[in-house]
Amino acid sequence: MIGFRALGRISEIFLTAFLAFGMTLAAERAMAQSEQRTVVGERYIPTIWIDPDGCEHWVMDDGAEGYMSPHLRRDGTPVCRKLNLCGVVNTDQLFATDSARVGSAGKQRLRAFFQSANAVSFSIIGHTDNVASDEYNMRLSQRRAEAVAQIAQDSGVRVSSMRGYGERNPTASNATPEGRAQNRRVEIMCWR
Amino acid sequence: MKVFKFILTLTVVSLLTACVGGHPPVGADKSADRGTDGKHLNQLQAGIWVDPNGCDHWIIDDGVEGYLSPRLDRYGKPVCSGIAPPTVATGNFKRGSKVPDLL
Repeated sequence: MIGFRALGRISEIFLTAFLAFGMTLAAERAMAQSEQRTVVGERYIPTIWIDPDGCEHWVMDDGAEGYMSPHLRRDGTPVCRKLNLCGVVNTDQLFATDSARVGSAGKQRLRAFFQSANAVSFSIIGHTDNVASDEYNMRLSQRRAEAVAQIAQDSGVRVSSMRGYGERNPTASNATPEGRAQNRRVEIMCWR
Repeated sequence: MKVFKFILTLTVVSLLTACVGGHPPVGADKSADRGTDGKHLNQLQAGIWVDPNGCDHWIIDDGVEGYLSPRLDRYGKPVCSGIAPPTVATGNFKRGSKVPDLL
């Protein structure tokens, strides 16, 4: 009886390792040779907690202990239910082609936006379409983010982060003119 | 004296089991807070704790359990909002639990 119970315990804690997703074929073949690896462990199945920004976290309650960690994709980006954007400015309305200068009408609009947003601080992130080189677009998006951040600071609000991603984070397809227009943008995140 | 010791041991043991709510051991599914303070973990109430670098973390004090997880923007960068000075925790993060925080 004791022997039987011990056996049951062993089968409970010895889990078979899973092959990781997204492996190359060669890596998979190499793994297949040592396939059934035995892992001594205990199963911890988490649930999801959604933070007030709308992003997911893994959470576990083990009786007295609690554990939490952000839910990230394999590329390191968090999984969020709603996009925490409180403003997206289409850069066509704000800047001339290749320019990072904001006209007075645009300045006024942004100023009003920043002052009425009621946020502790703002993150300002520039993006472009994929026309022109990656390097050029990185610089242009950065300059445009800086221009918008300057207006934010001039209107008396706090900028906690400001950067440019060039063409590397499109929100729409660059294959169509409409998609490219959507990709030319400055995103404003409001932290409350 | 022996009786006193027995009672003391009994009290300590029952207090300790009360910490885990006096319920059977937690299985593989860790998605709920069990016992006295029973609820699904998606109902946790968070506040913000600002780390020494000035960046935000979600902080939750759920009675016995405590949770901490970084606040990230949609690109995965830390949010350093300036909502409070470094090493300060703010917000109603102790609100979600019926279990009093004695410490």
